[in-house]
Amino acid sequence: MKKTLLSGAVGAALVLMTSLAQGAAPADWNSVQATEITLFYPGTSAVEWITKGTEHGGARALKKGETCMDCHSEEVANMGQLIASGKKLEPSPIAGKAPSIKVKVQAAHDDEALYLRFSWTQPPASGGAKMDADNPVKIAYMLEAGGKVELAEPGGCWGACHGDARTMPGAADGKTKYVKGGSLADGVFYDLNQWRSGENKAYDGHIATERVMQGGQALVSAQGKLDGDTWTVEFTRKLAGGTGDVLLEPGKVYNFGVAIHDDNSAGRYHHVSLGYHLGIDAAPDITAARQ
Amino acid sequence: MTNLHGKKGFFARLRRPSAKYSVATLLLVGVVLGVLFWGGFNTALEATNTEAFCISCHEMRDNVYPEYKETIHYSNRTGVRATCPDCHVPKNWTYKMIRKVQASKELWGKLVGTIDTREKFEAKRLELARHEWQRMKASDSRECRNCHSLASMNSDAQKQRARKQHATALEDSMTCIDCHKGIAHHKPQGMTDEDEE
Repeated sequence: MKKTLLSGAVGAALVLMTSLAQGAAPADWNSVQATEITLFYPGTSAVEWITKGTEHGGARALKKGETCMDCHSEEVANMGQLIASGKKLEPSPIAGKAPSIKVKVQAAHDDEALYLRFSWTQPPASGGAKMDADNPVKIAYMLEAGGKVELAEPGGCWGACHGDARTMPGAADGKTKYVKGGSLADGVFYDLNQWRSGENKAYDGHIATERVMQGGQALVSAQGKLDGDTWTVEFTRKLAGGTGDVLLEPGKVYNFGVAIHDDNSAGRYHHVSLGYHLGIDAAPDITAARQ
Repeated sequence: MTNLHGKKGFFARLRRPSAKYSVATLLLVGVVLGVLFWGGFNTALEATNTEAFCISCHEMRDNVYPEYKETIHYSNRTGVRATCPDCHVPKNWTYKMIRKVQASKELWGKLVGTIDTREKFEAKRLELARHEWQRMKASDSRECRNCHSLASMNSDAQKQRARKQHATALEDSMTCIDCHKGIAHHKPQGMTDEDEE
């Protein structure tokens, strides 16, 4: 009897220690500050287009150190409309494609982990061909530390978006996203976490010389659900991981971008955020406060 | 006819003092002739300074004019319209005359058919556009500033992007044409980064 009690107590203590070590997502997400961001359909606006002054009037501002948000934060949905309709930057528009998606982002952290929660209303389906038949929805976020990736600071994920990557016009199928001068050893990479709805599976990868969807050690879990027409996806990510994981430290700010592959889409046919900044106990665009 | 100095000819007659007409008559005739000449010259000059004149050549009518008709300088909610000469010919007389003399080269182009087909026009569009951009840059976009100025803009009424870009332009002493190439016509193919400097 004594032995049973003892082993029970040891077991309970172990469970408690494990849960403490892994941390726990906020019990009440309603108490965590939410930031609404607008993801838009970007068409073929690769980094080569963004930085070419004869095409993009903001290239000059970008060179001067302005961010994409500085000029475009108030017109994101309108940009999505222009591009999704094929008026700009989309040689093959998809009829019925949602121009933009408003996403509520919440972030919190404790000693062990960062907790991210994304929620959005499912846009109407386009009825177009299913590029990724297995996954109606995929959501990903990227983190970058120190602005080592060119354009990560002013332009979020755009440092990885190139005109010769797959699904761009004329691009090879095998070419993925990549970063100019990408190097895990030198910290020139994006940390990439993704959740896929059909597979109900989380991926922990990175983008350096190419996009790799595995090998990360920071992502603990990702869970998503569709309740009515509202998606909610929660990520739990350890502050410290391994190679290909950005080390998150209190007081610091990280370049941050979000992408949703809606409507069974793949490749460039996603919705993306402009470049945001995520602070761990720091207050730039989105703050993960200690809970 | 022999003059007082015994010389003959038209110029000699012009130099000979009049014994027949009063100074007042001569002055009056001179003034009237001057007004007629000057008025006629200006009328002819201004006739070339109209949109109708510009698009009387098919090179303009078929190429750049339809593009301009798609823009805000042609159609807008307030009904203010800038026509070809408003942007392409200076208002100041001296600069206008210089521009007109330069433009006489276009007559030669018309005669030899430099841009008399769509293909020829497109092949030369970048070169022609660069000439105009250089002219506007050199004059600090004088013709734009006949109507616009950074100082009189109400940035609150502008979109975020315009607000930001105009603030940058003011800081860096930029001129309108630095950013607004292609505002009234399609941008040429083959532009380089130098064209955006």
